[in-house]
Amino acid sequence: MSTPTLDIRNLSVSYSTPRGELKALRNVSIQIPNKKIVGIVGESGCGKSTLISAISKLMATNATVKSGEIEFHNSDILKISNQQMSELLGTDISLVFQDPMQTHNPVLSIGRQMVDIQFRDRLSKVEKYNRASEMLSLVGIPDAEERLKQYPFEFSGGMRQRIAIAMALMAKPSLLIADEPTTALDATLEVQIIKRLRELQDEIGCSILFISHHLGVIAELCDEVVVMYAGEVVESGSVRDVFHSPAHPYTKALLECDPGHIKEKTRNLPTIPGEIPDLVNLSTGCVFAERCSKKHDACEERPQFSSLNTEHFVACHLTGQENAQ
Amino acid sequence: MSALLEIDDVRVSFSLRSGLLSSAGSIDAVSGVSLKIEEGQTYGIVGESGSGKSTLARAITGLHHASEGSIRYRGQELKGLPEKEFRKLRKEIVMMFQDPIGSLSPRLSIGSLITEPFKIQGMKNTDLNAEAKRLLAMVGLPDEFAGRYPYQISGGQARRVGVARALALNPKLLIADEPTAGLDVSIQGEMLNLLAKLQDKLGLAIMIITHNLNVVRHITDKVGIMYLGKLVEEGNTDNVFSKPQHPYTLALLAANPEPDPDAQLMRIELAGEPPSLLNRPKGCEFHTRCPFVQSSCRHEIPKWNNSGSVSAYRCSFPEIWENADHG
Amino acid sequence: MTSDVGKMNETKSRSELSDIFYHLVRDPLGLVGLIIVGLIVFSAIFAPWIVPYDPIAMNIPDRMQGPSLSHLAGTDQLGRDTFSRVIMGGRVALQVAIPTIGGAITIGLILGMIAGYGPKWLDNVIVLLFDTVRSFPTVMFALAVVALVGPSLNTVILVIMVTSIPTYGRVVRTLTQSLRNSEFIEAERSLGASVFRIMRVHILPNVIGPIAVLAAMDIPTVIGLEAGLSFLGMGVKPPTPSWGSLLNDGYNLIRNTPWLIIAGGIPLILTTLGFTFLGEALRDVVDPKLRGRGK
Repeated sequence: MSTPTLDIRNLSVSYSTPRGELKALRNVSIQIPNKKIVGIVGESGCGKSTLISAISKLMATNATVKSGEIEFHNSDILKISNQQMSELLGTDISLVFQDPMQTHNPVLSIGRQMVDIQFRDRLSKVEKYNRASEMLSLVGIPDAEERLKQYPFEFSGGMRQRIAIAMALMAKPSLLIADEPTTALDATLEVQIIKRLRELQDEIGCSILFISHHLGVIAELCDEVVVMYAGEVVESGSVRDVFHSPAHPYTKALLECDPGHIKEKTRNLPTIPGEIPDLVNLSTGCVFAERCSKKHDACEERPQFSSLNTEHFVACHLTGQENAQ
Repeated sequence: MSALLEIDDVRVSFSLRSGLLSSAGSIDAVSGVSLKIEEGQTYGIVGESGSGKSTLARAITGLHHASEGSIRYRGQELKGLPEKEFRKLRKEIVMMFQDPIGSLSPRLSIGSLITEPFKIQGMKNTDLNAEAKRLLAMVGLPDEFAGRYPYQISGGQARRVGVARALALNPKLLIADEPTAGLDVSIQGEMLNLLAKLQDKLGLAIMIITHNLNVVRHITDKVGIMYLGKLVEEGNTDNVFSKPQHPYTLALLAANPEPDPDAQLMRIELAGEPPSLLNRPKGCEFHTRCPFVQSSCRHEIPKWNNSGSVSAYRCSFPEIWENADHG
Repeated sequence: MTSDVGKMNETKSRSELSDIFYHLVRDPLGLVGLIIVGLIVFSAIFAPWIVPYDPIAMNIPDRMQGPSLSHLAGTDQLGRDTFSRVIMGGRVALQVAIPTIGGAITIGLILGMIAGYGPKWLDNVIVLLFDTVRSFPTVMFALAVVALVGPSLNTVILVIMVTSIPTYGRVVRTLTQSLRNSEFIEAERSLGASVFRIMRVHILPNVIGPIAVLAAMDIPTVIGLEAGLSFLGMGVKPPTPSWGSLLNDGYNLIRNTPWLIIAGGIPLILTTLGFTFLGEALRDVVDPKLRGRGK
């Protein structure tokens, strides 16, 4: 098995707040294999924003990395300087964010911005322009050459997001991190963009880290999926394994709640009652225990990861008992 | 029996600001919508950006002015009704807004916010504290929330406050604008269950505005699909879901797939983006994006077809995918 | 979807005013400002009881003395105790500043909210009014009025108030306009709230914050204006002490004793610094609250 593009090992990040230390990420380990699309599924408070900020070294001032390594291209991102990181961002690692309305500089034309980000390449301005225009066509924007002269406000949200993806992929990065890129868009637009993203990934051969709460999209786009809850990874594996045979009670409950999943009409929709625990005052046991329907005595202790097969991992006492591995 | 709410060919136009020399244009955010909601019924309006669904909702509550058409509540015409008269009806027609925290006045306590309707209607002799407690209990929030402020509560809790405020005076028609937008999937069900429970308890009619077809499936009796300010399909929820007639409905259904990597889905992809309201397409307004477009669609305007057994639709070639080869 | 983790676990905090105070005290500049302003206000309120001598009592034999134990800041050309005059002058300064700014805020708030929330034609009329008043150079206007009506404390108050109204009015108007289309205003309209109620209950509390900050920063300006007018003899009538008239006396007697100028100047400087620090610190505290506890 080749080295993964991104290897996060035992990452723990905390924020210092007036109430105390907020443990946003605890012992998170995620691997993104070469040329694969890995999805992260999680709800509010699961730590995905903190994770992205740690990988891109754009953390808030009150955040501290308590432990762990993030290995990318044989170096630990957490140990390199900010200068080295800024060389990586935009070339080897690209980011696409959630809000397409705020991604671009409103006072510069799109063409200008797309040429600007090629500043490291030794090409003539005309060549850079052509590359930009090619990229726009690839993401499905017609009349690319004309549109390069336009300003961000002249594009709709869906178009801006495509431009953001075009800009992110223009440098042919090894890793694209997409943070809920389609959440702010209409569902029918989402379908288009996901399709385009899949095609581009195939062509360019990058790995993608795709964050979303939309399970259907993850199932459609990703090869592997990681389920996070309140700062921890609770289950990970191939999309097929996790969605067909979810092992963690949270994953199972999440799938049951997904509106696309519920076929029978009902006036009593399933939910996961309760709230995520207080990340400042965490108990020592399993983080999902309070809301788990299968809670029992063993849950007072934090469960270890057990593997259901070579790829499918889950952190739950129930699975540990069932599979002697 | 006259319906609770009857909307007849309503049009809501906005004029655009003109420059110093150029002429102003206008856009029809809602361009001819007719529908009926009966007492106690739940009606879902589904559409994406630019469909006009939110504008329609606001026209019903008088926040926007309908330029043409008629909006009748229990037979009484709402269009053009002066605010003094409308105020009396505001006990019965209420609205819940999309931004849960943004729709709560930031400097008022939760208790003050949910008892605003009493104060506005001049009901001076009510025990406001008791009412606040009753309303909080109704939506499952503890008493002490009355003293909190909007910035101190979560989005889900704020939504419940919005429900409490809307239901303060026992209305007959609740218009809920995107009640589940932004909520985690695991608690979307809570909001919908709450609305269903309250509906059963209070005999409330609900109009749900949303872009998420799946949300609507469980809680509505009837569904109307909007595109570019017009209804393109309307009917009983079961019919619309099991036998959609309009290609846009099919595309919406396909866009919310179930989380199954092996699912065999009709992979419908719409072309391009929704057209601008300034430049409405000729013929069938959906033809620029329709994956099943025929040559006649480009100049023939399809009529509204209300034959009865299936849902009503606005398409010259309904269920075309059943007859053609699967794409 | 925002992370609501912090909010869900937050308990109700103390009342807003004590919250503001809490944060002010923790900012070094704010603390200094608070102390200075506190001192000035205290001495202004209790002036009649804390002055060592009657500020207008003349005592010719002791005239033009330097600072001593019996006269902390010396005496002026008529033998009046300078220190007492300084303290009384502070009272006069605040007696001018507070009604002036209070009046300007009240009228500015009302006109600004009407302009921002009301119909466009009314907005145009009010803005025209604001711009007209603002186009007068303040000091010239003040001098003209004083020349017509004669110098007095009330004249000064009126003039400065009228010329300050547009500043507050404009800020309130802009804030009101930005709030007008917020979802919570729409929600209140959908409940049937009258225009008056919306302005009083929903807009007013949200625009007061920035106005309070402006006011704190404006007080030294008004005090300076009053001092300037009094310096020119166009302000309060003698023998009422004012920092400005102290400065004038000191200016005339600079060769004989420098202490009058110092006595007149230092309080002005201190007051300006104090209120400015307070205003800046207040703004820092109030701003994030307006954004709803921004992090």
